Parts: sequence; structure tokens; C-alpha cells
Amino acid sequence: MADSATASSSVFNMVALPMADDRAASWRFFRDAGDVFESQGIWYITEPEAVRFALRSPELFSSAGAFTQHGVDLPQIPINIDPPDHKRYRMILDPLLSPRVVNAMEDTLRAQIGELVDAFVETGSCDVVADIGRLYPPQVFLSLFGLPLEDRDQLVHWVEEMSAVSHSKDGGPAQSVQDAANSLIAYLEGAIAAKREHPGDDMLTEVIERAADGQFSDDEILGLAFLFCRAGLHTVTSAIGFLMLHLAQHPEIRRDMEKDPSLVTRVIEESLRTEQPVPFSPRIAMNDVEVCGVQIPAGARVRICLATANRDADKYANPDELDLTAGSPGHLSFGGGIHRCLGSHLARRELKLVVEEFHRRIPDYELKQGAIPQVEWPSGTLHLSELNLVFAAGGRS
Amino acid sequence: MKVAIDNHRCTGHGLCFALEPTVFTDDEAGYGQLAIGTDVPSEDQIAAFRRAVHACPEQAIVVEASETSE
Repeated sequence: MADSATASSSVFNMVALPMADDRAASWRFFRDAGDVFESQGIWYITEPEAVRFALRSPELFSSAGAFTQHGVDLPQIPINIDPPDHKRYRMILDPLLSPRVVNAMEDTLRAQIGELVDAFVETGSCDVVADIGRLYPPQVFLSLFGLPLEDRDQLVHWVEEMSAVSHSKDGGPAQSVQDAANSLIAYLEGAIAAKREHPGDDMLTEVIERAADGQFSDDEILGLAFLFCRAGLHTVTSAIGFLMLHLAQHPEIRRDMEKDPSLVTRVIEESLRTEQPVPFSPRIAMNDVEVCGVQIPAGARVRICLATANRDADKYANPDELDLTAGSPGHLSFGGGIHRCLGSHLARRELKLVVEEFHRRIPDYELKQGAIPQVEWPSGTLHLSELNLVFAAGGRS
Repeated sequence: MKVAIDNHRCTGHGLCFALEPTVFTDDEAGYGQLAIGTDVPSEDQIAAFRRAVHACPEQAIVVEASETSE
């Protein structure tokens, strides 16, 4: 079994996938490489049932030590934590990011995306990635944590410097990455200290108060804040880009949404399914384990492929197309099992507000002539480098 | 007819109440829960439950066709 996996790895070249222009073909190619296969020291699980099994088996596939540390030694709560501690953290954190909490923020977040669109609506063109995608998620983070919006551009700079590490194939973090991570940590330490002095009505204050009750240590507060910046910003940037690309390519969906605004929920879910920002959940194999007849050795780095499960030909009638009919199957773009994305409710709301406030102002638009939106590859987070749209200046014609 | 969310499987994706808000709602922590009684659902509600069974990424929603004795 190990021999056949090794054989497939010798012909499989991840970097050569046509990901920039064709995710459908790329993930099909990836899936065809094997249910479970090894490539350059990493074991990939692509078979959809095995994907679900692995996500649900944290005792076999550990998250501790599976994530990039950016040279930072902090407990990255709760993504790097295994059971049983994991449950304790999630029981505290889930209610702080529940749909009800997001509901309470909605008016503020809606006003903010409105302002971002207003900034370019008169010009008749925009780059969705630069003008919304890179700016809005950090603003939302700052709002959630009760920090000044003026810090946004600085935050964007550090986070983008740091995510450069996931753009490179492997090896330790570059100096610029370490510098950015250290600057971000110093910023967050300052923010936590300031919040202790002047508590507010925000998530950071809540977490600090729970720390006072002994539920979090100081390092854990910092690790949590750091993780939010690592995991909650560029992922949403990416999802905004793909969602607006789908809508730019499908004016008929925009018209249907105008008639039935509730359709936006399904458009968002299907955009997330077909163009998931994070294609893999990384894990470490705890024991020798056989999956789909292939032996994965104890200690191996494993990547559970969410993307191939999302395009499972047995489950989806047209796996590469958006299916907006009621009753279409769900997806694993927020991961699965106990580590399901903590920020998923907030991310979904951000996407919904982007669609609603963009289309309220700019119902009709198209890709700029000659623009070919491309995904950067190889990359840890799949994202468009730019998405240039044109529309009637002033928006509503 | 019995409908339930298996709390051991549910990890709080929230697709049930996002996609089928007529029969599911969210709890304090953002996990799904039934929004209606489970014993005598209408045809429409049954259809909504069945769609949610498909949508749930954790296969945590259970719909049993009939109540039978043990």
C-alpha cells in the first residue's frame, strides 16, 4: 500500500496544478492522485468519507503542533488545542461569536461596508480585493475587539507580511514575517493593557474579564487575539473576492437575488463550497493509521482536503457549478468536527453585508474588459490577487 | 415522525438555521436547535427537515420516518 502511495507522489506535482485559472480541473486532478497519498513528506486525504472521518477523529489526527507558528511561541487558542482542553475553550468562546452576538453588531458593520463602497461608487470602477476585501475584515476585527478603526492599515500590513509565509512552499519563517508577527504581538499586548484600563462593551473586554476569573491566562488571551488576526482576516478577504467574482460572472443570479433577497444565503454557501479560501485542514497523525488502505505513519503531517469533499461527484449533481436550489448539500469550507471555524457566523455575516450593501448601491456591473481574475498559487489560502469591476459612475443608473 | 439534532455530532456550523429558519433556530452558543415541536410536523416542515439533513456537514440531523415501539 505504501508503495503505491509513494509511486503516486513521485508523479504528483502540486505546484503544477492549474489553480490560477481552473480550480475545478485542479481539484479533480488532485482527487485523482489518490484517496490518500503522500507528496513531499505530507499525507493528503482526499476521499470525501475519509475526510469526514479524519475531521471527526481528533484522537487520531491532532491539531496540536499542526499549524504554522510564525516563529511565535504562544498557545493559539483554540485551533492548536486537542481534547479534552479544547472543549473548555470552545464552551467559553462559542457564545462570544454566536449569531446573536453578530446580530448585535450588524448595524455598525453594515454602516462600515456602506462607507467602503461609497468611497468608490462615483468613480465607476473598483478592485473588490483592494477596496473591500483587504479593508473590511480588519475593520470588523477591530470593531469586535473594541479597538480604533484607525489601526486598520497597520494591521493589514502586518497580517499581509505574515501570510507571506504561507505563500512560500516551506521552510522556517522569513525575517520580515517574524518582524511582522512581533509587531502585531506588541500591538495586541498594548491593546490588552489599554482594555484592562478602560473596559468596553466588546469581545476583548469579555475575554479579559474571564481571565480575571481564572478561565484564561495572559498568554492565552494574547494567543487568542493573535489567532483571530491570523485566521479571521485574509480568509474573509478571499471569500469576498470569490463571492463577488461569482456574482460578476452571473448577472442572472443578481437579478434573482433582487427578486428574492433570501437567496443571498444560498449564494454565499455555494460560493464558499466551490471556492473555499482554506482548502486543507492540517493535522498530525497520532498513531500509525490506515485510511483507504494506505498506511499513514505516526507523527506524519497530514492535510485533510476540504476542497475535494466539497466537489464530491457522488454528493453534488454538478459539483463545479453553483447549485442555488433549496436542499442542496452543505460543505466543509469552515472545516468540520470539533475545530469547525469559530468565526464562521461572523464571516457569513460579513459576506452577506458586502453583497447587500454593494448591490444596494451598484446593482449592475461587470468584469473590467480584459481582466482575467486569477488565484495566487501555490498558497496556503486561495485568493484572487485582484478583481476589477466596472459600472455606471454613481452606481444606480 | 421524529426529528432530532444529535448533540454529539453537531459542532455548530449553523447551516440548519441559516438555510431552514422555519424549523431550526440558534442557541446561545450558536448551535442549532429545533424551532418547533417534533411530534406532528406539517408536510412543509418535513420537507425543510429533509433538506437540512442534506445540508448538515456533520450528518447530525436525524429524521425518523415513524414512531415505533422499542
